[in-house]
Amino acid sequence: MTATASAANQPQASALSANRSFVLRGILLAVVVGAFMSLGNVNIGAIGQGLGYALAGVTVFMTFRVLGFVDLTVDGAFPIGGAACAILIVNGHSPEYAMLMGFIAGALTGMATALIDIIFKIEGLLASIIVITAAYTVTLHVMEGKSNIPLLGQETLISRYSKAFRTWLVEQFGDQMRRQSTNLLEIILFGFIVFIVLAILYWFLRSEIGLAIRATGKNPQMVRATGLNHNLMIIIGLMSANGLAGVAGSLVVQQFGFADVSLGFGLIVRGLAAVIIGEVLLRPRSVGQLLIAAVTGMLVFDISRAWIFSALDLPTTDIQFVSALVVLAALGAPRLYDRWKTYKQRLGG
Amino acid sequence: MLSLDQVSVTFNAGTVNEVRALRDISLLAAEGEFVTVIGSNGAGKSTLFNVISGAAQPDSGHISLDGEDITYWPEYRRSHDIGRVFQDPRLGTCPGLTIRENLSLAAIHGRSAGLRRDVKKAEEAWFFEQLERQRLGLEHRLDADVALLSGGQRQAITLVMATLTKPKLLLLDEHTAALDPNAAEQVIALTQQLAEANDLCVVMITHSMQQACDLGDRVIMMNRGRIEFEIAGEERRNLKPADLIDRFHSLQDAELSDAQLLG
Repeated sequence: MTATASAANQPQASALSANRSFVLRGILLAVVVGAFMSLGNVNIGAIGQGLGYALAGVTVFMTFRVLGFVDLTVDGAFPIGGAACAILIVNGHSPEYAMLMGFIAGALTGMATALIDIIFKIEGLLASIIVITAAYTVTLHVMEGKSNIPLLGQETLISRYSKAFRTWLVEQFGDQMRRQSTNLLEIILFGFIVFIVLAILYWFLRSEIGLAIRATGKNPQMVRATGLNHNLMIIIGLMSANGLAGVAGSLVVQQFGFADVSLGFGLIVRGLAAVIIGEVLLRPRSVGQLLIAAVTGMLVFDISRAWIFSALDLPTTDIQFVSALVVLAALGAPRLYDRWKTYKQRLGG
Repeated sequence: MLSLDQVSVTFNAGTVNEVRALRDISLLAAEGEFVTVIGSNGAGKSTLFNVISGAAQPDSGHISLDGEDITYWPEYRRSHDIGRVFQDPRLGTCPGLTIRENLSLAAIHGRSAGLRRDVKKAEEAWFFEQLERQRLGLEHRLDADVALLSGGQRQAITLVMATLTKPKLLLLDEHTAALDPNAAEQVIALTQQLAEANDLCVVMITHSMQQACDLGDRVIMMNRGRIEFEIAGEERRNLKPADLIDRFHSLQDAELSDAQLLG
């Protein structure tokens, strides 16, 4: 009896140690990135921006990694979510309500891709390109025909607290904090929202539906054999994933102070980079760790890009090229490292 | 229990590649009955299973289970009542998920997935007991990733998953063919044990004449989309692998002379 109990406890012990090494890697990474930022003179605004985009990284994680579905819809769901949020704020709705609608707008975009895939049997890559193309027009219509909606003077999540927060910050830490007050507020607010969303998503992925969604990506045949409708799982999965892109769009719109029809350009590449950077640096194992890794990856992406900008003193027009370079580094470095290892082995042998 | 009424399946109909995979197949299997199916490659055995499980649609004919016509039910709906184990051990379980998660998924069987917690405390003892009975030691490795298990272990778990919620019918598609002799023996023993314990109707495809003689109450030989012969009752009880092989060869000889005549 005791032998049985101790044997059954073993996996839990190994799960604990896996958690510990994950946390250790996380702390190490935070220290390295922190040192990097202060030495390289990177503004903390990069963290706030990373947090704004973080949920779009989670979208890519959900579609590519969990569902095994090559889905580019995030490029369309993000600006639609942002546009919906902006137009509602301009029309006097609360930022919370506007963000909820941003989620729904993104989710509907994801549903369109899922339905095209299921009904017409067009594979995800093509289905999502079709949806992105149509989404451009939908975004323009949501923004009432304008390609840009400024949020200047409107009550956003940030502007609502910015005055009170600045006063409090200056009182507590002196006048030199005034310049950083908006950046700090963004980090706190967005950090809180990302944390809440991740907690809900974690709970969702650990539910029966979540388990079925995770299994759908790995072995759809088995999901059907288990008596579950795997098409329904694809719909639910793509809706929740792209809903998150809609929330990310809503956050970024409030951060930038405007919504723009071209906001989602190149986002899929950025999301992929976030997922891969997170996986390489943190080597996540469990569902929770994978979610944290995707968010961390987006933060590292934004910080390294900001560092390149400040180090090379580049104009903002070069932003997409630098993004592409960072993505290339994130994708290419692990592969190059593997090739270097086999090359070294060959020399050694 | 299971009844097929003049079921036909044709692939690539109307083209030069037309294949009549099943020709007017009629078959009855009762509750608690164990039927083995043998036949050469391309005889239509797997198509037969696909039609029963809903992975393929028949051109004509009807399939019913427990008196209910299931001919037009989608695959996922039929799988409430039909458990299936494939030859490839990778098809039945989900890599990247733990044994516990795989079993939890199988436990959802028969109802719709909800927002309840995926792995439930209440089911823990049930899973432990199910795996303990196999004597493979897997009950202590519930948190292990299924991808790390051997083919035999994965097939054993697939069997437990397929019978966990007591389906009416169990389809076994050469489920020991990819395993080493030891593992195959274990999986066969487990198959018998599960079939008897749950009083299941089992249909098993096999290429092993020994298995066809050792297991079940009835042997069906398929050839070119037809049921060529059936051996049941007294004859089946006295059946030896050598007899089956003889009948197998005589069938092929007959075919050969046909071909020579026509050629």
